Amino acid sequence: MTIHVYAGLKDYFSPEFELPDDVYDIDQLRACMLAINDQAGNLLAACRFAVEDGFIDNTYKFRAHETIIVVPPSSGG
Amino acid sequence: MRQSSSFRPVVEDKSASAPVDVSGGAPAGGVTDQPIDMVGLLAAGHHPAAGAVVLFSGEVRDSNMGRVVRYLEYEAQVPLAERMISEILAEAKEKWGLKIAIAQHRIGRVAIGETAVVVITSAAHRSEAYTANRYIIDRIKHEAPIWKCEYYADGTKEWGNNCNCREVTGDVSKHIYESKG
Repeated sequence: MTIHVYAGLKDYFSPEFELPDDVYDIDQLRACMLAINDQAGNLLAACRFAVEDGFIDNTYKFRAHETIIVVPPSSGG
Repeated sequence: MRQSSSFRPVVEDKSASAPVDVSGGAPAGGVTDQPIDMVGLLAAGHHPAAGAVVLFSGEVRDSNMGRVVRYLEYEAQVPLAERMISEILAEAKEKWGLKIAIAQHRIGRVAIGETAVVVITSAAHRSEAYTANRYIIDRIKHEAPIWKCEYYADGTKEWGNNCNCREVTGDVSKHIYESKG
């Protein structure tokens, strides 16, 4: 699967990176990202997650080869 | 990151008489990498059934928390942001019976004094126009996937002023708005 991150998350991760397709939900994705950079814990805890169809909640199961968008807290305006 | 130069994120009351076509046929959205055409947008906010038009302009100021700001740079997850802004406009239009609702947000570098975001609401009376306008900007600021990075005079930068409602609500998707909408 492909992961896209934005804003402050780019201080911890590449804007786009790949993870194995056996990552199947948000909790697992957070764990994988923390394994890459454990300094991002506080920010990751505040993030929302989305797929192409829109925002998803913790019950969502990722599909193979899906693109996951990690959305930090907004600061528009 | 995809950047959209199109805008006209307008939700118009099609049931009103003599509707003004301000959509231009462009897709609903609300994010642009071009300077905001305030005069053009305000002109698009007029409607024969609207006795009140409220325009909010969020502008880049030259300081924050005592630090001198040189400019801001906005980033967005454009498809999600445009979809969310369109949904917020549609909801506000329905809730307050707006004749026209417009919202547009800049991405990319925005200079001091420039408009970063604009919201225009047109309604029969000022009460609905003011309330709906505040509701729309509050929701965009809290919920739309748009982020700003402040660039300071000392050469540093900082992603700033993020929504921290989760610290109170315990849920990243639940927010506390200043408006009472």
